[in-house]
Amino acid sequence: MRTMKLRAAAATVLLTALSGTLAACGDAGSEGEGVDVQAEEVEDGKFEEGSRMAELAEAGSITIGVKYDQPGLGFKSATDDIPTGFDVEIAKLLVADLGIDPSDTSAVTYEETISDNREPYLEAGRVDLVLASYSITEDRRKVVGQTGPYFITGQQILVAADSDVESIDDLVGETVCSVSGSTSLQNAEDAGAIGAPADTYSQCAEDVLNGTVEAMTTDGSILLGLAAQNEGELKVVGPEFSEERIGVGYSQDYPEMCEWINGVLTEAYEDGSWAEAFEATLGGDDVETPEPPALDECPAA
Amino acid sequence: MSTAPQEEISAGRGEPLVVLDGVNKWFGDLHVLQDINLTVNRGEVVVVIGPSGSGKSTLCRAINRLETIDRGTITLDGKPLPQEGKELANLRAEVGMVFQSFNLFAHKTIRENVTLGPIKVRKVAKATAEAKAAELLDRVGIGHQADKYPAQLSGGQQQRVAIARALAMEPKVMLFDEPTSALDPEMIKEVLDVMVDLAEQGMTMVVVTHEMGFARTAADRVLFMADGAVVEENTPEEFFTNPQSERAKDFLGKILKH
Amino acid sequence: MNVVLDNAGDIALAFIYTLSLFVVAGVLSLIFGALLAAARVGPVAVLRKAAAVYVTLIRNTPLLIVIIFFRFAGPKIGLTFSFVDIRVADIRLNNLYAACAVGLVVYTSSFVCEALRSGINAVPLGQAEAARAIGLPFGGVMSQVIMPQAMRHALPPLASVQIALLKNTTVCGALGVFEAFARMRGLTNDFASARTEIFLAFALIFVVLVEVLSFVAYRLERRWRIV
Repeated sequence: MRTMKLRAAAATVLLTALSGTLAACGDAGSEGEGVDVQAEEVEDGKFEEGSRMAELAEAGSITIGVKYDQPGLGFKSATDDIPTGFDVEIAKLLVADLGIDPSDTSAVTYEETISDNREPYLEAGRVDLVLASYSITEDRRKVVGQTGPYFITGQQILVAADSDVESIDDLVGETVCSVSGSTSLQNAEDAGAIGAPADTYSQCAEDVLNGTVEAMTTDGSILLGLAAQNEGELKVVGPEFSEERIGVGYSQDYPEMCEWINGVLTEAYEDGSWAEAFEATLGGDDVETPEPPALDECPAA
Repeated sequence: MSTAPQEEISAGRGEPLVVLDGVNKWFGDLHVLQDINLTVNRGEVVVVIGPSGSGKSTLCRAINRLETIDRGTITLDGKPLPQEGKELANLRAEVGMVFQSFNLFAHKTIRENVTLGPIKVRKVAKATAEAKAAELLDRVGIGHQADKYPAQLSGGQQQRVAIARALAMEPKVMLFDEPTSALDPEMIKEVLDVMVDLAEQGMTMVVVTHEMGFARTAADRVLFMADGAVVEENTPEEFFTNPQSERAKDFLGKILKH
Repeated sequence: MNVVLDNAGDIALAFIYTLSLFVVAGVLSLIFGALLAAARVGPVAVLRKAAAVYVTLIRNTPLLIVIIFFRFAGPKIGLTFSFVDIRVADIRLNNLYAACAVGLVVYTSSFVCEALRSGINAVPLGQAEAARAIGLPFGGVMSQVIMPQAMRHALPPLASVQIALLKNTTVCGALGVFEAFARMRGLTNDFASARTEIFLAFALIFVVLVEVLSFVAYRLERRWRIV
């Protein structure tokens, strides 16, 4: 029994070391500490009695599902206390609206949700909200609540700097890498490319650098981060050939959260904190801050 | 150590075929073969007897190098035994061997057991090898069981197949390492009959056995071994009626009493 | 069950990749493993040592690391398998596929070797002596007499090794081959509402495949049983 535990531990150390090497090149998103968002005062009656928001504000703690491995959207390096990225910035706005300090890690838990466990975590109540590059789709709305979008992104292509590839059309019959199970991978396949599933984006970038695959594809924002890390070796090309509407996920048990989320987002659009969040994360010197996207209507209660 | 000069006994026979000269072997501290000198002439039948642990099996197995020796030389038809490798394999093809525990190839039919060597080693055509196998199996009385597997035959039948398998290689000499020791008494005769037959046809044979009857009827010469050394070497008639050494007298006294 | 049926074509293609990885790696690992086993029991001391080192090294390394070696360390030393590019209808066997397949072969061979070695040890010594006595060289002794019998003894452990291989192919789903596991992740991501059905369908297909394998092994065992 003892040896088995030891062996398992050794394997974990090995694998961690290994994934560390692979992810080591994925460090771009952590530049800048993000925006310092202050908790708001919550007056009595701000949230309807019995609503989920009231409960959370009362409890003073919340758990948010975010990505840990997507520079620019949700990324957490080993040394960060709080993940960074646009998703996280939007999450902070929501948390602050509940009167909770977004930087207080004893009150806010930023739990990692990989693509596959976003819905299960919401359904089981393990997380209260999901902001994890969470595309709004009809199918997902069957099992969880989704509103927004707070960001619209599109899929682009990352190739070696000396590549002639200009768009997805040049990659028909070629091997294109993306994260296993992702919509991006499916889209590339639908466009006629041979999908090469990988575990992480940095693994795909490694393959592009090695020349083992022609290109990788996912949201342009992630690709820009990867290209920046490997300046001169990788470049982002092509028009966006898909549209991903990134939204907030909540549990269907609490439909009242939809209006609240939309409210916070609308306020952020109007008071400039949305733009500020964008500039602190995805934005840069040569990236123009876009217009905030129009929000979906909440389903009638 | 021997009572009669070798030349006298072997006189009138063919040339030397198997020659052991000063052969020694140790298993760790145990000196299992001590200065063995032996010449087996073409057409001769040499029976090796002796108490268990006397080294007689080791001697037999050394002749086709299933046991290596530490000192001395063994030559076959004038050529020394090669080291491992292709040459050794070629030599072994010239020496037929019959084991105490038959060692038929368990996964092959009787026919395949007999044809494997000719086909794979001698590169004989399959049909030719099978015709020859049928003939040999008939000769040992197993002709009608060629499609069976070894485990379906009795011990005596298996040993006769093993003899046919060895003969299929058309060996220059046949080695028998206690061929009847693992057999039930009623099967011993059928195997010995085949061996006597073979001896009468002039096959050169070295036979390690406890069958004194066979030694009397078929042997040209009897070698008595004890403690790794050849103690006595004589014609069967002389050996059985007038053993010279105390060891041989003692041994014969024990086994002939019953 | 609709999601599964609607995507039956994609799922079938994914399982073709899974099965082709299994067949390619299975056959090659049996051959390579048999050579390793022969080296381990053979007369050449250098080969015996080399095979023992290989088995010790590979068998004690997690599969993922072995495949990652061929996928990511390989290209750094010029081992890209870029010469592999086979297209059959919708099936595309490319450099990533080759790297994964080689990783599976390298890993599985060490287990095949040990399964066969246990089988070889179960063959009575007299069989080898009798084979040598009729003049077969080492290769002939192994291929004609020892291996066929060793296979019978080794069949149950070999079947386990091959069943493990079938399931191990899923590791390739995160390393560039669009096999069943990768397809399942794609489907569960796209159809969050039908996740349970998708899981069950894939699990069921794997169970069926493994059962078929077990059945084949069982039949072989019966047929090869020494009468």
